[in-house]
Amino acid sequence: MKRRTFVATLGGGSALGLAGCLTQEGGSDDGTLTVVTYESMLDGENPAGPWLKDAFEDEHSDAELEWELLPDQGINHYIERADRDVGIDADVYLGLNIDDLVSVDDNLEDGGLFQSLESDRLERADRVRDGLEMGDPHDRVLPYDTGYISLVYDESEVDEPETFEALTEPEYEDALLAQNAQSSDPGQAFLLWTIDAFGEDGYLDYWRDLDDNGVRILEDWTESYYGAYMEEERPMVVSYSTDQVFASAEGNDLTRHQIAFPNGQGYANPEGMAIFDDATSIDLAYDFFEFVLSNDAQAEIAQRNVQFPAVEDEYVDLDEEFDQYAHVPPEAVTVGYDDLRGNLDGWVDDWAREFAGQ
Amino acid sequence: MSLLDRVPVDRTRVGTWLERYALQVTALVTAAVLVVMLYVPVGVVFVNAVVEDGVPTLEHVAAVLTDPFYFGALADVFADPLVIRTHLGSLAAWLGAVSISVSLEYPIPGVSLPVPWPGVEMPDVRTGLFGFTAYQAALSTAASVALGLPAAYVLANYEFYGRRTLRSLTILPFVLPGIMVAVGFYAMFGRAGTLNTLLGLVGIGPFAFIEAAPLAVVILAHAFYNAPLVARLTVAAWESVDVRTVETARSLGASKRRAFRDVVVPQLVPAVLTGALLTFIFTFMTFPIVLALGGLQLATVEVWIYDRIQRLDVVEAATLAILETILSLGLTYAYLRYESAQAGFSQAASRPAREALFPDLRTACSPRRLAIVGYGLVALVLFVGPMASLVVGSVTDGSGLTLRNYAFLLERQLEGASFQTLPLPAIRNSLLFGVATLAVAVPMGVVLSVLTVRAGRSGTVIDTLAMLPLAVSGVVFGIGLLQGLVFGVSLPGGWRLQITGAVAIVVAHAVAAYPFVTRNVSPLLANLDPAMVESARALGASRLRALLDIELPLVAHGIVAGAAFAFAISIGEFSSTVILASGSESYTMPVAVERYLGRRSGPAIAMATVLLVVTAASFVVIDRVGGRGDP
Repeated sequence: MKRRTFVATLGGGSALGLAGCLTQEGGSDDGTLTVVTYESMLDGENPAGPWLKDAFEDEHSDAELEWELLPDQGINHYIERADRDVGIDADVYLGLNIDDLVSVDDNLEDGGLFQSLESDRLERADRVRDGLEMGDPHDRVLPYDTGYISLVYDESEVDEPETFEALTEPEYEDALLAQNAQSSDPGQAFLLWTIDAFGEDGYLDYWRDLDDNGVRILEDWTESYYGAYMEEERPMVVSYSTDQVFASAEGNDLTRHQIAFPNGQGYANPEGMAIFDDATSIDLAYDFFEFVLSNDAQAEIAQRNVQFPAVEDEYVDLDEEFDQYAHVPPEAVTVGYDDLRGNLDGWVDDWAREFAGQ
Repeated sequence: MSLLDRVPVDRTRVGTWLERYALQVTALVTAAVLVVMLYVPVGVVFVNAVVEDGVPTLEHVAAVLTDPFYFGALADVFADPLVIRTHLGSLAAWLGAVSISVSLEYPIPGVSLPVPWPGVEMPDVRTGLFGFTAYQAALSTAASVALGLPAAYVLANYEFYGRRTLRSLTILPFVLPGIMVAVGFYAMFGRAGTLNTLLGLVGIGPFAFIEAAPLAVVILAHAFYNAPLVARLTVAAWESVDVRTVETARSLGASKRRAFRDVVVPQLVPAVLTGALLTFIFTFMTFPIVLALGGLQLATVEVWIYDRIQRLDVVEAATLAILETILSLGLTYAYLRYESAQAGFSQAASRPAREALFPDLRTACSPRRLAIVGYGLVALVLFVGPMASLVVGSVTDGSGLTLRNYAFLLERQLEGASFQTLPLPAIRNSLLFGVATLAVAVPMGVVLSVLTVRAGRSGTVIDTLAMLPLAVSGVVFGIGLLQGLVFGVSLPGGWRLQITGAVAIVVAHAVAAYPFVTRNVSPLLANLDPAMVESARALGASRLRALLDIELPLVAHGIVAGAAFAFAISIGEFSSTVILASGSESYTMPVAVERYLGRRSGPAIAMATVLLVVTAASFVVIDRVGGRGDP
């Protein structure tokens, strides 16, 4: 306890010392950058958050990075705050995806909550790989990593499904575990993937076939993975293409952790960062974005967060083990911002009504 | 201690005033707490459903009522309630299509034992989401009562080694976060779970219990939560049965069975019904358990409310929540009417003696004892199994025994940064909030009991309203707290009422917990002879004095039972804690469990085990301290 108080006092002191300096530069920066992010960035095993804080503060000796835990309601918390004119104290949101952006624009004024980024202030923005842009017409978000939704299966029980259609065949009867798209991120991503594959008019038919073939839709990734899949209820689960990184670290048998990319695809779920409209430490926020896209930060985020870097290969060195166990799909698909706008809620609702309470 | 010893004591004027008005003051404070922490937040959300642009409207309610997705076949009735002949016609057609047959079946796989199996063929009827939710809640209630009553019977009537500890621990399932119950159930009943491993030892199985009968497993999980509730309420009632009334009946020639049926049972019924009512309401509003074990096919109304809130469609969420609340409050009102209509039994602290469970070998082989052993085995599989599987899961990983998960907790405690969740503060907060909740909820609950018990019909209405915390969707209460208290309510003069942090958490817990105190105390208080209080008052005791010296000692069991629930609810509460604790250091053990869940479940399971151990220890202590009169 004492140690923490001491560190806090020290941090506060240096922040105060700096405040005058930064105000002279024109902004109202007080030397503290408040960044909102999700739990696993801060609290899992070996999370990336603490490393980012230390490394960023080392590089900017006059700045302090303060983490704020994303409340349970996620982006909705900030949408509601903005809607009711209750101020937002944070400067940066780390962990924004396309669905969040659509949610913001469907519920607030178009282009709301976050400010448009001035791209000439970001030298390293060019490093971001093609295919990760989120299609935001207001340029509010910059990707920093990406994950791919894929299937994880037990090769001793089933063969790798080559296509989506294969999943409706007798060979895969009662084999697949998916998640509820209403309450789960990978669940929603998998639903969007089938919409990408079968179209807005065909996806419900495909899901009816899946239902006839015995697909099981559980609440969340945790329940479906730790509950059902790891207890060997079923041989296949919708999960992430980085599954083997964890499985090998846990010493699990990799036969139960094979990655399948039906149709040769994986569903990309890029994560981005954005600056709140109300932010005060804007200069520092740009510094932070530059730092996050640097070689070291990209490698640490990727490995600690077990996601793929957002930048081209030449800008990042990953451990061999990560390269070996984290699989990239031959083709990455994503339903873009324009298609999601105004459609997402309806798609998920129609899908859920098909299964529930009948 | 006699009344006369206590009453004539020198007091200051303030003391006298306080004593005279203490009840009224506490009642006012209780009312204020309820308004701020319950009616305002819930009102803020509910208004969305019935007011549009400042104009009252029933359009949204009508839209939900007439949507077959929500109400199935009933939706037609709601849409056009006046064409009674048509509705009766379709009902008759449906009844005509029902057929009953008996066939020979082989229910046990692998064993050729033919059993006559009644088959009821019913044409499909569309129940809708509300219909299904009520159906599974009814089944869950039946299962909880069926599994809870034998436990109450054994705990109240038999003496055996560890009885009191076991009685304390019946509350444990109550505090486990839903997600951990799901993980525990899979570890126990899954295809590769503990039960199948055990059955495998004797050469049976493996069975895919969860896959084959998800609804049955969901109902068992609900019983895991609620059977202990039924048991605890019933034990408290059983222990306050006056043994002299049974003896009187016996001496008048009643057989043992007859005395039980006519004297004991009527005194247990209110407690059992209270347990059943609470179970029905809880399982009607179940959310994570149905999805985690049953999947989307078993979704309930609450799942839809959560989804509507996530999609920021507060109007539909509020409409669904209002319908849900009307249903629960209606049930509560009906029950309370029944409860107050019950004839009073005078009760004294002269409780039945307990028999030894296994006095000797011959008795141990009697059918009754064997049935108890059989029930013990069921309880072991259903209640101990999932929790033991969790504990085992915390010390194993893919490759065998490990202490890594606990090392994580220790390391986090020693080296964690200020923005991370530390185990010790979580334990400390949980215990502190638990004790503080007791201090707030017990007086609130008792005062409400006192005020409503003798108020007749209007008392029933007040009592029903006081039960609102149980009848309101947890999701909606959470969002109401967020919009009403965390974001704040604008007051005239540019002020803003905002309540967050530890105080808000304690008050929210107390609001969720006091109905349990009330429900435990009210029936006992109602059964006291009013003449006792009147005599004390006639002798010069203030109302408070009479309450403290006469009534409360006589209903002490109920208060201790209610207090235990209050503590358990505070320890286990998750949804409003996580909203009020966000951004502060007021997180609790269940919140820490959720925060440690990531791509590896080990640390979260270890934290859940810590939660179990700390709670178990607290309960043994509470019951030892609180239940001093217990032999």
